[in-house]
Amino acid sequence: VLTLLLVVALAAAALVAWRTGERNADLARRLGHASGELEALQHAFARFAPHEVVERIIADGIATDAETKDVTILFADLKSFTALAEHLDPARLVELLNGYFERMNQVVAAHRGYLAKFIGDGLLALFGALEPNPWQTNDALHAALAMRAAIAEYNRELAARGLPEIAAGIGIHCGPVVTGVLGTSALKEYGVIGRTVNVAARIEEMTRVHDTDVLVSDAVRTRCDSRFRMRPMPPAEAKGLPEPLVTFAVDGFDGG
Amino acid sequence: MSIDGSAASMEWRECWLAEGDPPPDLVAQVKQATGGMVPTWTYRLAPVPWVVRALAGTNQARFAAMPPELFGLIAFVVSQDNSCRYCYGATRAILKITGYADDVIDRIERDVQLADVSLASLTALRFARKLSQANPRPDAADLATLVSVGFSQPAIAEIAYAAAIMCFANRLSTLFALPPEAIVRWVDNPIVRLLRPLIARKFRDKPFPSASLPAPNDPPCDAVIAGLAGSPAAHVVRGAVDDALASPVLPLRTKLLVFAVVGRALGCAHTERDARSGLARAGLGPSEVDEILANLGSPALDAREQALVPFARETVRYRNGVIQERTRALVDRLSIAEVIEGVAVASLANTIARLSVILDAC
Repeated sequence: VLTLLLVVALAAAALVAWRTGERNADLARRLGHASGELEALQHAFARFAPHEVVERIIADGIATDAETKDVTILFADLKSFTALAEHLDPARLVELLNGYFERMNQVVAAHRGYLAKFIGDGLLALFGALEPNPWQTNDALHAALAMRAAIAEYNRELAARGLPEIAAGIGIHCGPVVTGVLGTSALKEYGVIGRTVNVAARIEEMTRVHDTDVLVSDAVRTRCDSRFRMRPMPPAEAKGLPEPLVTFAVDGFDGG
Repeated sequence: MSIDGSAASMEWRECWLAEGDPPPDLVAQVKQATGGMVPTWTYRLAPVPWVVRALAGTNQARFAAMPPELFGLIAFVVSQDNSCRYCYGATRAILKITGYADDVIDRIERDVQLADVSLASLTALRFARKLSQANPRPDAADLATLVSVGFSQPAIAEIAYAAAIMCFANRLSTLFALPPEAIVRWVDNPIVRLLRPLIARKFRDKPFPSASLPAPNDPPCDAVIAGLAGSPAAHVVRGAVDDALASPVLPLRTKLLVFAVVGRALGCAHTERDARSGLARAGLGPSEVDEILANLGSPALDAREQALVPFARETVRYRNGVIQERTRALVDRLSIAEVIEGVAVASLANTIARLSVILDAC
């Protein structure tokens, strides 16, 4: 009887062990699958928000707190885009615009900037927002000059394809901004707000007034490398700003 | 998660450094540090012997206060964070040899929070990642958290060292795109699996007795090294810094400028101040240094410095493919030995500037 009981007990133990092993293996499979999905989601999400922000959200949840940082803001907008849009069929227009955005994104990333937002045919790039960057102003200016060169090259390509040329206005300003994840409970995005952002947008608009492509604020001129060649523009009234805006047109860079 | 799968996701170019012919005494020093192995970097970095010795030194895990088994885990998570395919493969292989199962390593890799380790170890791993990422740098609160889980000040200094020294190894390996070592391939060989317990004895880290501070411990970096008081690691760092600064390949001024740029990029006032003092002794005035650090360029820089000063900044945070191409492009302006020394000095500066967080706490 004892032997029989022992055999039954051993069999029962083996069955329990086997089932536990199966359950553990199943859980490990599910965990692996869930981890894989989470990783894929993380990669996909990184297209909508900076990788650093995604990591922080995964670790701590969506934070409602925000930080104030010194950031350099670059606004770029296509000139005469409305007229362009009226003369091109939608498919070619989107193709042209996407080609422009792709090139601008590459230039911004190559100069340690983060392309934060597309606003119609415009874009907003941030320098020094995601990681400390003591050279953010120089980076933004080098990026603007590289954008000028990239647009010239793109125009040659567009001309060869029988498409109209494009021209952009670029405005740069630096100063404190509030960064954080903004939006409603249904729709959120990583963004920046503050006077610095508004001023950068106004400077970009001034490129039309002064008929130039790259304009910077006095704050940028003071902080940047003196080897950037600049010309002062006459102060001009800007919407929403109490004082006329002092800007400088950027002609080039005399360094290597 | 297979090692090949994870490593494949880390961008990596071809290594362009040719294998040289290191002197036998250098090979012997490497063997002594690595438990008898001669990694391929011994040959590739041979034109600058101190770099080979310093990289070998990172393999000598000598800790007096930190639990020595933590080093393997820190080395693994920091290498993964830095997307260093070379170090990731090597550290993963060593973890396997020392007894970690694949699924345990996978959990650490997927999320440090899921790792089957104590709360203290988990806290140390989080700190190591933060120190390596430096965005932002660890602060007094992070150091207080380590104290709260039971780490002494000397142990915290060694945890910081473990993470910081991997930043050196990761940068050298990544910037030169070093190819994987044989250990990564043979770790899963059935025969090697049987022999793992024997091999593990070579790799398993043992506690070392406390060591007195290196003497002399002169500037630069003396304060950071003094922060490692009691640890054998202080000698590893002192040796690497002294070797680097004494090497005749690049002028001392160039190397100090690289330290200053990395210090500025990481917001490390200690490193920048140290380098500035050295530069003043080398005849470079404060206003000239200000201009160089503000713009990463100046007419006062010689041709080598014009290449290395902006490059130093690139070594702080990078994407593998981009930095590997920029490193290779240096060959157009510098000799191979100068490139090796320039990259190694920048990597060492990254270690020192990150390690200096201990000065704020110890």
